[in-house]
Amino acid sequence: MTNRSVQLQLGIGACIASLFLIFVAIPGWVASPTNVRNIILSPLFWPYVLAGLTGLAGLGLLAVGWFSDEDGVPLNDVTENPRAAWLRLVGLAAIMIVIMLLLPRVGMVWTSMLAFVATAFTVRTRHPVAAVICAIVIPLVLYAFFAHVAGVAIPQGNFVRLP
Amino acid sequence: MSFFDSLLAGLTLVGNIEAFLALGVGVAIGVVGGAIPGMSATMAVALTLPFTFAMQPITGILLLLGVYKGGIFGGSIPAILIKTPGTPASSATILDGYPMAERGEAGRALGMALWASCTADLISNLALIVFAGWLASFALNFGPPEFFTLILFSLTIIAGVSGDSLLRGALSAVLGLMLATVGLDLVYGTNRFTFGSPDMMGGLNFIAVLIGLFAIPEILAMAWNPTAHLGKTRSLGNKWVTFADYRKSFRSIVRGSMIGVFLGSIPGIGAAPAAFLSYSEARRKSKNKANFGKGEIEGVAASEAGNNGVAGATLIPLLALGVPGDVITAIIIGAFMIHGLQPGPMMFVLNVDIIYGLFIGLIVSSFFLFFIGTAAIRGFKYVADIPKRLLIPSVLVLCIYGVFAVNNNIFDVGVMFAMGWVGFFMMRYHIPAAPFLIAFILGPLLEDNFRQSMLMSGNDWMVLFRGPITWFFWTVTIITVAAIIRAGYRAARSIGANRLKG
Amino acid sequence: MTLKTIFTMGAFAAGLTATAALAEYPERPINMIIPYGAGGATDISARTIAEPLGTAVGKPLVMANVTGAGGATGSVAVQNANPDGYTMLFARVGSHSVGPAMKATLPYTLDDFRFVTVYEINPVACAVNPSSGIESMEDLIEKVKEGGVSYSSSGVGSLLHLAGAMVLRDFGIEDPLEAAAHIPLKGGGAAATAVLNGTATFICTNSSALASFVANEQLTPILVTTAEPVPGFDAPTSADVGKPQLEQLVGWTGIAGPADLPDDVAEKWGAWMETATKDEEFLEKMTSRGSVIELMSPEEADDFIETQYNTFRKLVDELGMRVEG
Repeated sequence: MTNRSVQLQLGIGACIASLFLIFVAIPGWVASPTNVRNIILSPLFWPYVLAGLTGLAGLGLLAVGWFSDEDGVPLNDVTENPRAAWLRLVGLAAIMIVIMLLLPRVGMVWTSMLAFVATAFTVRTRHPVAAVICAIVIPLVLYAFFAHVAGVAIPQGNFVRLP
Repeated sequence: MSFFDSLLAGLTLVGNIEAFLALGVGVAIGVVGGAIPGMSATMAVALTLPFTFAMQPITGILLLLGVYKGGIFGGSIPAILIKTPGTPASSATILDGYPMAERGEAGRALGMALWASCTADLISNLALIVFAGWLASFALNFGPPEFFTLILFSLTIIAGVSGDSLLRGALSAVLGLMLATVGLDLVYGTNRFTFGSPDMMGGLNFIAVLIGLFAIPEILAMAWNPTAHLGKTRSLGNKWVTFADYRKSFRSIVRGSMIGVFLGSIPGIGAAPAAFLSYSEARRKSKNKANFGKGEIEGVAASEAGNNGVAGATLIPLLALGVPGDVITAIIIGAFMIHGLQPGPMMFVLNVDIIYGLFIGLIVSSFFLFFIGTAAIRGFKYVADIPKRLLIPSVLVLCIYGVFAVNNNIFDVGVMFAMGWVGFFMMRYHIPAAPFLIAFILGPLLEDNFRQSMLMSGNDWMVLFRGPITWFFWTVTIITVAAIIRAGYRAARSIGANRLKG
Repeated sequence: MTLKTIFTMGAFAAGLTATAALAEYPERPINMIIPYGAGGATDISARTIAEPLGTAVGKPLVMANVTGAGGATGSVAVQNANPDGYTMLFARVGSHSVGPAMKATLPYTLDDFRFVTVYEINPVACAVNPSSGIESMEDLIEKVKEGGVSYSSSGVGSLLHLAGAMVLRDFGIEDPLEAAAHIPLKGGGAAATAVLNGTATFICTNSSALASFVANEQLTPILVTTAEPVPGFDAPTSADVGKPQLEQLVGWTGIAGPADLPDDVAEKWGAWMETATKDEEFLEKMTSRGSVIELMSPEEADDFIETQYNTFRKLVDELGMRVEG
């Protein structure tokens, strides 16, 4: 991606977002009582203003992108293998979803251990043994600290409970 | 209460071992946290926040301020050693610090960074003590219209410092404002983008958004390219900074501190621009202009003085007006509120002992920073050697615990993950995250104060121009906007000129 | 191990903990959810009772502030929790009588909770800025009739919001929503500040929130809603002004569990609260803040909240204050 294509893509994205907000999201998901006396006090007023500003920013980006030169310099570092990179990102997304599912059920400590190992291997750590040791130790230390020093009710889950 | 009574009340409040311990521990956490790339002073403060809940207010706040100050200095350690700023504010330190490290003078650069930081910190704290009370004396005049104009002004400054593209900064800010509308409407109590979820009704938790926006993208970027960070850490070298070095750079340090104090006292600017401004001023005034960027020790001193000069001064708007100057103070404001303290004009009336306790603690913190920083420089290179691919999963686990602890709500962990993807997307598209976050904080304030003004005046627009304070902020807002437009116009013209030449 | 065996084991383990809980409740720390932020009236009250209560319970009480949406976020967390007595809620007037009366959007009703007690009553006081020239309710009503009067609250559906309207109406203002502007702020502290700096004309809130301002003569009290005078507040009571119906307008704090809370758990809580509220230190701390300690049994608590809810609901419907959508 070059600077110009980034500007253009963002501009188009912002314009679409603005239209989506104005015609779908705000009418659908922002409730307003019927007895609002003054339009500027309505709960809808500010979201509409922001939707308009999003559109303006989008148009601005489009204009600047359109009139700027194509310098051909890519903005982001190239990764050596895009396919594997995408797979790792999807893997991390999956880890996050699993974390959210497991947190209330098996508790934060056990979930964190799994998340640590999974993440460490997703980013291809060079220290697998150290990663596993850290995966066990860090969540336990954090648990001890948060639960017993800071007095936070760390979720324990339904199975194995820690003291 | 007279000045000395207040001072005495403050002294009794902080005159205990716990407060000083908290301050010392805070500075140490901050130095370590700031020195871990991808952790940053902001995250160190955010992650320390939950631990302060159980403490005395003053102890907890001193802990956070210690982390803040330590973190701003700590950021310079990886900036000098591995060319990675531990904190955005230390970006300018790279310019001369890293060349020095390559020459084997890392120890000298780090030492100068520390000395400059401590000096700037002290100047900044003194400025806070002198000016905050003065600002607070008329701060009770701040009603909704005054706050509305103040926040409007703060928003313009964010737009002015949003990196290389003003439009992308503006887009970022608008996204932040939009996200901040989630929750129950202030005036009518109706749902806005809550999708019927009781968790969404409370709005998105600020700290979840913050950690999601800054820490999680680092993890995702790591997954995208696991080997991008591989590089070498240089040895510290035998040379240590000398007093002659310090005296030579003293003018730049003081100038940098002043710049830091000035920019820090205006809400919404933050430490990074101050560091760059201070650096460029030092370069402009220096005899060794040509040596800047090639390992000039004065450059390190100037940029570190600039960013640490901000640290104390950002507390001026926080304490005097209840307005966060940057992301870190926004978290610290949360700590005040969690302890039932309302930072702002009334605090100088109601909690004057806490204010003076903080002042005393802050002055002491500069000295703590000096000693802990010295120890940290000696010891740090081992910690900085933790393989990044072990560090990243640790950060993830730490984030999960930290974000949960803020509001005891698993939903917030989900918010953090979702914001992490938003942050990663913004990173890939080079949209600066800072305007997003500051808009997210200021957006609700802007809207609420606007509507409160309208309610109190019965929809009379003139209330927004009701006194000298509103007029003052309207004027500076217009001046700032004009300056932004002019700068943007000039930039466009110089690009055009370059194009003609090229 | 197949997925099925994992599930069976999970179900078995869950069953095990459930029966164990019934056998000797409590066998582990109890999570106490405070639906408001630290430093607020609910938080202070909860953390004050937690000390003697923890001693009575014999197991630690883990206090957790779950804030958001005027107490709704924390309340929902308890509504959806296991009814095993290990997740309990500090319910408050705002979250459990004004809120349900005013907000159609609330994701819970009173029936979703089982109250084990109400232990604290907070009188409500109304106050104005001394520089406003208002010295009594009559002055205030006079001003309201002239127009331009406003009152501050800690948000829509808070006790302060309803209290302002209720007081004005009981003093003869037919349509208080039209006659006086409601200025919602973020939190009780900001609401008091708004009267201090002249943004709003008056505020009606728990006397404890106003006590320090009144003591410093930064605010002038003009009414307290209890029949008995409140120490430190030199203002007429609801009995003095002959409006006993205003006595319904009080704050309270209680403890509730999810609706299916077993009877034996509720009984144990009754006994614990009996012991805890007798603690000298607790009593002294609470009364010094202007609270009245009045321990109610589960039935009394239900009655009390139901009556207050119905009074508020009637007023809300008459005035058209209910938040729909």
